[in-house]
Amino acid sequence: MSFVVARRGIVLAALSLAALAPSTGFAHGPSRQKVTETIEIAAPAEKIWAVIGNFQDLSWLPVVAKTEGTGDNEPNKATRHITLKNGGEIDELLTKYDAKDFSQAYRIEKVDVKVLPVNNYSSTLTVKPQGDKSVVEWKGAFYRGYPNNDPPPELSDEAALKAITGLYQSGLAALKEKVESGK
Amino acid sequence: MTNQGSGDVTIVDLSTMSPVATLAIGGKPAGVAVSADGARAYVTSPEGKYLTVIDARGRRALRRIALEGGPLGLAVAPDGRRVFVADMYDGRLFAVDPETGAVVATAHVGVTPSGVAVTPDGRLILVSLRDADRIALVDAASFEKIGEIEVGRHPFGVTIDAAGARAYTANVESDDVSVIDLATRAVVATVKVGKRPYCVALAQGRGFVTDQYAEAVSVFDLSTLAPVGEVKVGEYPEGIGASRDGKTVYVANWFTNEFWSIAADSLQVVGKAKTGDGPRAFGAFIRAMN
Repeated sequence: MSFVVARRGIVLAALSLAALAPSTGFAHGPSRQKVTETIEIAAPAEKIWAVIGNFQDLSWLPVVAKTEGTGDNEPNKATRHITLKNGGEIDELLTKYDAKDFSQAYRIEKVDVKVLPVNNYSSTLTVKPQGDKSVVEWKGAFYRGYPNNDPPPELSDEAALKAITGLYQSGLAALKEKVESGK
Repeated sequence: MTNQGSGDVTIVDLSTMSPVATLAIGGKPAGVAVSADGARAYVTSPEGKYLTVIDARGRRALRRIALEGGPLGLAVAPDGRRVFVADMYDGRLFAVDPETGAVVATAHVGVTPSGVAVTPDGRLILVSLRDADRIALVDAASFEKIGEIEVGRHPFGVTIDAAGARAYTANVESDDVSVIDLATRAVVATVKVGKRPYCVALAQGRGFVTDQYAEAVSVFDLSTLAPVGEVKVGEYPEGIGASRDGKTVYVANWFTNEFWSIAADSLQVVGKAKTGDGPRAFGAFIRAMN
């Protein structure tokens, strides 16, 4: 699956949700959700990895204002504190890193469900070489923002899926534009 | 295999590793337990708030039993006359008569009851209390909680060995397995495993643990408790179970929608089957009568 139109409107709407329920740490609902989004980019994998391969630099992602962290790209040591343009904050831990296979995995250590309506979020970002092109794959697994049954609509499975799908689609579209335009 | 995303159950023939039937269940099915005689399978739907009774031989859903709260983990009494279902949200364990559909007893066990297991003599029920980092002990006859055991952080799956001597909990947050001696009701060892362990299966004197964040099954020796090896599997492995002869271990790979078989001695992956979306198979899902 690939696409060309950036869907920034969706992710911004999702990220500015005014959720009422408190964040509840590791508690979560009964049904883990998954999202896989891919995009084809007309560039070698090395060139794309040069943009997204540094865990300490998320500047390629349009919703991000600032990335601060420590531990470089060392799995289970590297952390980053992300400030979004809307003021939301996310703490993440790098869990796997393989520059040879252009792949990194990380998880969210701390986020308010008002910022991103998910719990127990983990993700993998991989560049797959395909001749002189590449396919970038972004995968996530997570629970919805509401840890109990009968969630309010803004913290439902659907809201979590919409937020993450929108984030991945808009992020990958922006990456494609950045890499292919050479900016 | 309970497929939580697609809302159904896949029945796989273990001799051929081929899916032979798909049953619509609904309500985000997650937990599963097969009766000892292989006649029945029970599936929980935590979002739909019901237990589905499946005719495992006829491969059809017979009926739904409505339950309160968030029914998730479950186990069948050895005589098949009761199904014990944990309500993850309101801290209860229900004793369900699967023939009449009645909840015949309710025990208040503690916060976020998750995995459920029954000793082979049917007298003691173990329930993992995820957010309390403890196991609750429930007397099956009185259906009252008679104690708690402190284990690692966030125990999820709980497994009792065939002799009823030891129990094993997969502790999601501390990346280890607590080994419980059931006679003294004490943790006798803690075994380090991979990231985010989900459940433990026992075969050939070995423990097999699904590590959700490591795409792996950790294997350790049950007598020395030393690591034996690690088997690479699909993404986000969850439910795991052993064949009755102990030769094969079966794993549900939640993200990649696959069901894998692993030789318990050589640790080689020997078969793969497709499932529906999001297989969890949380519980005793193996029916094979070999």
